[in-house]
Amino acid sequence: MTRPLRIGLLRLTDSAPVIIARNHGLFAQYGLTPEVVVSPSWSNIADGLAWKTLDAAIIFPPLAIMTALGRRGHAAALRPLCTLSRGGNTLVLRGTNPLDTAWPPGAAGRQAFDAWRHTLGRRPRLAVVHMYSTHLLILRRFLGMIGVDMDSGIELVVMPPADMITALADRAIDGGCVGPSWGTEACLRGLGFLVGGSSTVMPSHLEKLLVISDTIADSAAPLKAALRDAVSYCQAPDNRHAIAQDLARPPEKGGLALPSRATLATLDEKTTPEPVTFIAEDVTQPDFEWITQDMSDLGWIDETERRTLGV
Amino acid sequence: MTPIDDATNGPGRPARPPMTVLVADENTRRARALSDDLRADPSLCVLSIPAGTALIDAVRQYQPDVVLVDMGRADRDALDSIRALSQPALERPVALFVDRDDVELMETAFDIGICSYNVLDAPPDDVKPLLRAAIALYTRFQRTRGELTEAQRKLAEQKIIDQAKRLFMKNENTTEDQAYRWFRRRAMQTSQRIAAVAADYVAAHARADAP
Repeated sequence: MTRPLRIGLLRLTDSAPVIIARNHGLFAQYGLTPEVVVSPSWSNIADGLAWKTLDAAIIFPPLAIMTALGRRGHAAALRPLCTLSRGGNTLVLRGTNPLDTAWPPGAAGRQAFDAWRHTLGRRPRLAVVHMYSTHLLILRRFLGMIGVDMDSGIELVVMPPADMITALADRAIDGGCVGPSWGTEACLRGLGFLVGGSSTVMPSHLEKLLVISDTIADSAAPLKAALRDAVSYCQAPDNRHAIAQDLARPPEKGGLALPSRATLATLDEKTTPEPVTFIAEDVTQPDFEWITQDMSDLGWIDETERRTLGV
Repeated sequence: MTPIDDATNGPGRPARPPMTVLVADENTRRARALSDDLRADPSLCVLSIPAGTALIDAVRQYQPDVVLVDMGRADRDALDSIRALSQPALERPVALFVDRDDVELMETAFDIGICSYNVLDAPPDDVKPLLRAAIALYTRFQRTRGELTEAQRKLAEQKIIDQAKRLFMKNENTTEDQAYRWFRRRAMQTSQRIAAVAADYVAAHARADAP
């Protein structure tokens, strides 16, 4: 018996296109009946793609690249199908913001960082959702913009996005760069304040894309068509409440158990400076340019690999 | 944090086992069963971490040679990334174990939801027997869970059929045998399971009885 096509994703607002496509029967309209696998960790997504327990996944570009290159032990024949979202990552810190605004680049931002750090009494512990994430690259660039070295100026930790809420409340971390809707949820709960994010570091950067295994190349066209329809639905402002409600349902009822108020806020540019922008189009070389440059700077890939990573 | 280690240094066992295995599974029954299985090998020192303990903290504290990890643990990402982070590194950093020569073993392990990490500076000779033991145990648990689910489904079906029969007997003044035959015939006519017909009957009469 042939098993259904499996699409892996995490509990994040930008997973909405796949959830909507399934819940609204858009996959079925194109003859597909995929199984959506809500994964507990990014490692599960990468391993699933490498070891064929997933046929496709919503993923951020650095992890997709490292998985395809076999940096987690086994090279995977993957291809980007299409973009799904741009932006939406938030830089949230706990405590009190010494400024009334997001932190500006340069000396003023550095002063704010130093003042905030002084209140902590320790080297700030900042979390990202995975080592090979856009979040890490954005955090590093943000720190660079205010003159803080990521290696020496902070302690970097890795934890799942949903765990950051508790970790902030317990003071186990002092902040982090996290995707929607978790950063907004932290702010709404009074656990942190926003100092920057995608829009301040790399506006409209590619955040999530759908990658597929070469083994399901035959399903690429209908999959892309269904996701384009789902993204069109997600783009319509009138559908935001319905999307937030869909995503707030528990996984066994077709949702992702996301906090509905924060999720709704992340969908609207009027309620957050870091909204998620859903977009389904081909991935282009400029989308990968800054990412592969930073990955090269960090020593994750070499120049030869960078040149061969043509999209 | 206290590791669970209840099988070291028994009679006839080496004073210091050469390989320490940390079992990281939040399913306490499965963790205990896997630990028990592994302890059949006296050359292993098997530790389990209490539920709720962060994986990375346990690895940092106990510095095992091998870590067997339930892939349902969301905090696996921290372990996965540790060797590349510039934070105060683990004294003995670990990396995902991958056997390139035995793809089937690896695919089975990932499919059943178990993976293994090795210490980088002193990789154990052969982790495959450990992984095979874990796969066998996880498979056993999955099958038991499947059997339990099936048993619960059958029980629930029988309950709704019995309820529907009682209702039918009361409404139609029939015997239990006649009631059952009616539901069986209806199921055949509509190509449905008897339990589905029974559920429809109960739901329809519940609506009809509603004020």
